[in-house]
Amino acid sequence: MGKREKVLVKICVGTACFVQGGADLLLYNDFLDPVVLANCEIEGSSCLGMCKMSSTKARPPFVQIGTEVYGDMTQERFCKLLAEAVNA
Amino acid sequence: MLELNNQYTLIKRRVQTEVLKQFFDETLEQDADKIPFLIIPKERIPNRCCIYKERAMIRYRIMAMLGIDIERFDDEMKPLTEYVKEVMVKDTPAVPILTTISTACSACPPDRYLISDACRGCFARPCLANCPKDCITFSHGQAHIEEDRCIRCGKCKEVCPFHAVVHIPVPCEEACPVNAVKKNEDGYVEIDYKKCISCGRCAMSCPFGAIVERSGLIPVVKMLKAQQHVTAMIAPAIEGQFPGTLAQIKQALLSCGFSSVVEVSQGAETTSIHEAHELTHRKESGAGYMTTSCCPAYMEVVDKHLPFLSERRSEALSPMGYIAQWCKEQNPETKTIFIGPCLAKKVEAIRLGTIDGVMTFSELASLFMAKGVDVREMESADLGDTASFEDCRQFAVSSGVAGCVLNRLEGSQEVNVLPINGIDKKMFRAMKIWEKRPPEADLIEVMCCEGGCINGPGTIVKPSVALKLRGGNKAATPVKAMRDPLVRSEMHERK
Repeated sequence: MGKREKVLVKICVGTACFVQGGADLLLYNDFLDPVVLANCEIEGSSCLGMCKMSSTKARPPFVQIGTEVYGDMTQERFCKLLAEAVNA
Repeated sequence: MLELNNQYTLIKRRVQTEVLKQFFDETLEQDADKIPFLIIPKERIPNRCCIYKERAMIRYRIMAMLGIDIERFDDEMKPLTEYVKEVMVKDTPAVPILTTISTACSACPPDRYLISDACRGCFARPCLANCPKDCITFSHGQAHIEEDRCIRCGKCKEVCPFHAVVHIPVPCEEACPVNAVKKNEDGYVEIDYKKCISCGRCAMSCPFGAIVERSGLIPVVKMLKAQQHVTAMIAPAIEGQFPGTLAQIKQALLSCGFSSVVEVSQGAETTSIHEAHELTHRKESGAGYMTTSCCPAYMEVVDKHLPFLSERRSEALSPMGYIAQWCKEQNPETKTIFIGPCLAKKVEAIRLGTIDGVMTFSELASLFMAKGVDVREMESADLGDTASFEDCRQFAVSSGVAGCVLNRLEGSQEVNVLPINGIDKKMFRAMKIWEKRPPEADLIEVMCCEGGCINGPGTIVKPSVALKLRGGNKAATPVKAMRDPLVRSEMHERK
């Protein structure tokens, strides 16, 4: 197996995302599988602009994994989506 | 207590944001009744029995936010817009801080112990041997508890090798340190306001959201909208609650319409100096231990339950008291608004009379969202000269107050500090004993919330997150601050 590129993950830390549960995602060191964590590059991001779009039904907090943006993020969902992204 | 971020707190913040948006758009007086439908749309899969009950609960949340005492003044026939019109004309009285929504209350059965199917009906039967009331019986190869004889001591639970005994509490009653939460004859929640210390633990514990705080937000936003001179007094706990530094938070407040922003830590300096003097004096005269006086829920404990401590608590005003005085001296016309994590501060504000409004961090978050203010994108406002009171930002953390007092003692004095880190039922019982047996300490720092104000009922982020974002510019780059091992080791070194 060759060396794979890390999955780029952006956690939105705009105020709306941060206060609606996004702050909990910052504890990723404590709740993510270390193997998954090692294959991810996690960084904070300014408002991704999703909360202001009327077309989407998803709500803050938003997270971008690779090129896809997901809303209504929870720690559980974050674990699941990252594991999928890393193993894809 | 419940996890801080749960379905209920998140929906509460959305409701608040919608109400504020309508308030600033001047549509609240016509459209308030639409909000429940907006928050709970037809397609939603309900968490309660049906979307209609959920909408009714949203209606109550809005009433609580308007400051209505739901327990006493709920008129189901009255549209929200009528309530809005009333509160726009006249502010509602601020006490009692908490009110209950009886239709939200699940009327939980009394707290009890239950033996589950995990019971193997073992030969040793330690439950039977250890029950002081002889209320364990065996049938069908399993143990059972005779409800009417059980005294809920929990012995059986402790000794069962299969962990087959479960304790099913009533969350609100279990959380109340002073037994102020009771059930009425129909089994629904009621608060005994003669006993209630406004700590907010019950409201944080009820998984049905049946105990709510009556918000003081509307009077504040009315002042902002009327463009009065409004001073935001931000509590030391604010750092770490938002994705931005103190300077950015200050700028965010200014852009919401506050005329000036001061740190309550500045008042905390006066409190610490006062308490340091008092402590020295008491030690010299052999007057015995002194407790801090900045926690308003503890003040309520003393006034309502432990009057013998009224001579023991420091005579210093709380940081909020001193800073409000200072603000009024600077500008007698200014409206002083305390922004903190605390519900009991509202009681203190009424007592002092120098504070014109109290709001929580959670409510401030709704205000930021309604105004579209992103703290992270703010410029840094000038905080002024903070050198003399920078350490007082630690007032928000358990042991922090005592630390600041000790820093301000003159000369070298041997001071024995006892921090009371959270008043729960057990700690309350322990404090009762102080009357007969004084604690062996000179300075007792009392914080009603475990961990300090950063764990208060009006906070947004967990203490574990907030602690890592506090200090320096860490909150400006939250993800980096959490990741950086360097930052953490620096913190250790400083200790």
